[in-house]
Amino acid sequence: MTTPLLLILVAALAFLATHVAYEWLAKRLLIVSGAEYLILGVLLGPQVTGLFTPAAIEAFQPIAILGIGWMGITAALPLRLQRLVRIPAVHYRLALVEAIATLALVTAGAVSALHVAFEVDVAMALAPALCLGAIAVASTPAGLDVAYGDQRNDSRRRAPVLLQIEVANGMDAFLSVLAFGIMIAMMHVAAPVMIRALTTTEWVVVTLGIGAVGGTLFHLFLGNERSPDRLFISLGGAVILTSGAAAYLNLSPTLAAFVMGVILVNSLRHTGPVEEVLRGAERPLYYVLLLLAGASWAPASNVVWWLVIIHYVVLRTLAKLWGTGIVTWLNGAQSEVGLDWGRALIGQGRLTIALALDYSRRGLPYGDVIFTCAAVSVVFTEFFAARFVRSVAAPLVAPLETLSATTEAVVGTVTETMTHAIPGFLRQERGESRPDSESRSDSHSIAHSVSHSDSPSDDGAR
Amino acid sequence: MRRLVILLVLYAVMGGVFVLGGIEAGTPTLMLFGFLILGAYSVGELVKPLGIPKIVGYLVAGVLFGPPGLGYVSKPVLAELNAVSNLAIALIAFLAGAELQMSEIKARGAAIMKMVSVELVLTFASVTAVMVALRGLLPFMAQAPMSEAIAFSMLFAAVAVVHSPAVTMALLTETRANGPVARYTLGVVLVMDVAVVLIFSLVLAAARSLVPPAGDDGGVQIGAVVWEIGGSVIVGAVLGAGIAAYLRFISRELFIFGLLVALLGAEVARILHVETLLTLLVAGFVAENAGGGRGAELRHALERAAAPVFVVFFALSGAKIDPRTVLPLWTIVVPVVLVRMAGIWSGMQLGGRWARLDPSIPQRAWMGLVSQAGVAIGLATVVADVYPERGGQLRALLLATIAINETIGPILFRLGLKRAGELTEGG
Repeated sequence: MTTPLLLILVAALAFLATHVAYEWLAKRLLIVSGAEYLILGVLLGPQVTGLFTPAAIEAFQPIAILGIGWMGITAALPLRLQRLVRIPAVHYRLALVEAIATLALVTAGAVSALHVAFEVDVAMALAPALCLGAIAVASTPAGLDVAYGDQRNDSRRRAPVLLQIEVANGMDAFLSVLAFGIMIAMMHVAAPVMIRALTTTEWVVVTLGIGAVGGTLFHLFLGNERSPDRLFISLGGAVILTSGAAAYLNLSPTLAAFVMGVILVNSLRHTGPVEEVLRGAERPLYYVLLLLAGASWAPASNVVWWLVIIHYVVLRTLAKLWGTGIVTWLNGAQSEVGLDWGRALIGQGRLTIALALDYSRRGLPYGDVIFTCAAVSVVFTEFFAARFVRSVAAPLVAPLETLSATTEAVVGTVTETMTHAIPGFLRQERGESRPDSESRSDSHSIAHSVSHSDSPSDDGAR
Repeated sequence: MRRLVILLVLYAVMGGVFVLGGIEAGTPTLMLFGFLILGAYSVGELVKPLGIPKIVGYLVAGVLFGPPGLGYVSKPVLAELNAVSNLAIALIAFLAGAELQMSEIKARGAAIMKMVSVELVLTFASVTAVMVALRGLLPFMAQAPMSEAIAFSMLFAAVAVVHSPAVTMALLTETRANGPVARYTLGVVLVMDVAVVLIFSLVLAAARSLVPPAGDDGGVQIGAVVWEIGGSVIVGAVLGAGIAAYLRFISRELFIFGLLVALLGAEVARILHVETLLTLLVAGFVAENAGGGRGAELRHALERAAAPVFVVFFALSGAKIDPRTVLPLWTIVVPVVLVRMAGIWSGMQLGGRWARLDPSIPQRAWMGLVSQAGVAIGLATVVADVYPERGGQLRALLLATIAINETIGPILFRLGLKRAGELTEGG
């Protein structure tokens, strides 16, 4: 089979997965679809059927890099400062401690596991272990989106526990991408550039600079452009340029694109159309990434490998569960968010795959082991991410939903009674002289606009 | 001014990245692809206020950033980005086919056929004649016997009669023109695109018998020509039927679906050795007319998908133009370009009169037929493959002619649409 035809099939599978399987599974079975495409990739790859040859996988590298960068920029979309400042500080405190605890615990565990399993010095094992720790921090927001709707303006998403999970997802993405990007800069081959080789700090600055320039350029490029066509051209070009430049310099495309995303969502007046364009391509690209990741996955039957992998899964789960429990208890927030909200962060998904694939494609030490850890985690946790979220949040959200429904019913009854008792009550109340039907439609649209007031695009408009 | 600043910043950033890259850097293809999108788009926006079509800006950007210019987009990168050009050609052909409605063919088909036939004969004959007349200026034809001179002149003319569906579609998408001049121009370009496959194959067969290439048996490959055309129609119809079924029963995510269809069509055409353009053209036509009224939605979605592809396609086309090869040949290229334009003009006037069209239509529509691009370059390469030595020199001459036509063609077409009052406000 020819490489282009293979690409078409991959894209077609991703397309079908996105628009048929994903929605169907999510709605009916509360399952986050995706991990199965990793398995499909393995089946298509050189390890099983050989439909994907190593040469074909190599030919798809630019698409893989674009996918990796795209996951980075979409991870930054929720980080709009205007919205973030309205969230109570306690949510950030809890999320930050959870993320740092996961990074520390998994890194420590990975250092010891690599040291014991592969008999390497602790110093040699530290950099790969830190990369694995960074990958472990990431948690998928897809579980929350599937369980409680992917719109942040959904009224159900205002419950404290859901807000906490959302903040934790964002914090996990931030810390994960940042730590991974720094580690990649540290492991950068120290070839002399002009006079001398750049230091790690300078490479980190270069990575951030690429993202900052990409974001600024795009901002200058279109400003407040809303036309989807023009946005698509320039945004696509900017993400391709940013990811490509980072990859060309052997830096992290995810971090560069993440920085670009942060600049975009905070500098553009109307972020809605930009988010729409970015979100539109996110899921198909994720599935392409999964297929490519699966095809390039080369797991070994070595027992030592599985020791490291089990180590990773167990320590990460413990960090997410106990870390959140302890920090919530210390902050006295258990009545609002519960003690076990960390369970909602166990699911791993797109960012994990993007980072792990980025690590393994570079040929860095223990790339296969680290990629296998991430892949196993995604396979076993992403499916159930929505159920994890639902199991944590349902007991806390249900009373709020009941209260909300009761309040709406009471308000409705009172309004109806008043309207019957005082003809023209609604009109007088609003000081308008239009027919009832129009008043009712107005009240609906006002309620609608209030319920949408938290949307990022509206933030800018206001 | 803002665009110019952005362009300079982009240029500076790229320079910085290349300096930082050093010898340990990875492959720059993806980065240069992004750079080309943004750079070409900026140049397109820069020239728009001057009344020049954006695609000319994209071409200029290609020349500027390509191997003959600043050299950022090197020849190996151009080769790696060839897949994008192929996708663009497929997308353009599909869009062009989807523009044709059965009712329009019934209404305008006869007039278009008359204009095409007269224009084809006049342009082919006049370009052949001028090439024969100027053969003394061409080293590879100066000392050749008359039969060889005629054979090569006919080959040249067979490529010269080709128009550019890409430029036509890109400009119609950009200007959103939809009046009689736009519709007749598109019709002539598309019909000529089908006819040229046949004409070129016949002329090549005749040239082979007059001047047998080294190691060639001189046989006429009629079967291959028949399959190339007939197979394209069959494959395109099957593909179009599949798309029509999708439109009728699913009709979702047409943007991604359209891109996949273009990719699939191009690849299937390549594997089955049929004409990509004709295959996608037929597929687009069948999908539009059998899609249960949903064809317009797919067309709009594809126009959106085509926008960035046009940017890169024309930028890559520009990067392949080398002004250094055009300038030394100006004594031949300029007369050929002028004679070709005269052939198109007179062909359209006579054809229009024969079809009893309003004279203002052919008076403006001919301007849309000057452009040449991808198809002509492809045919020039075929000539060079068949006759490696003399064909190579003929190819250089053809590329120089195409470069001129590719640059002035869009400007003329826009002028024609403007005179006809078919430009929208934004166009």
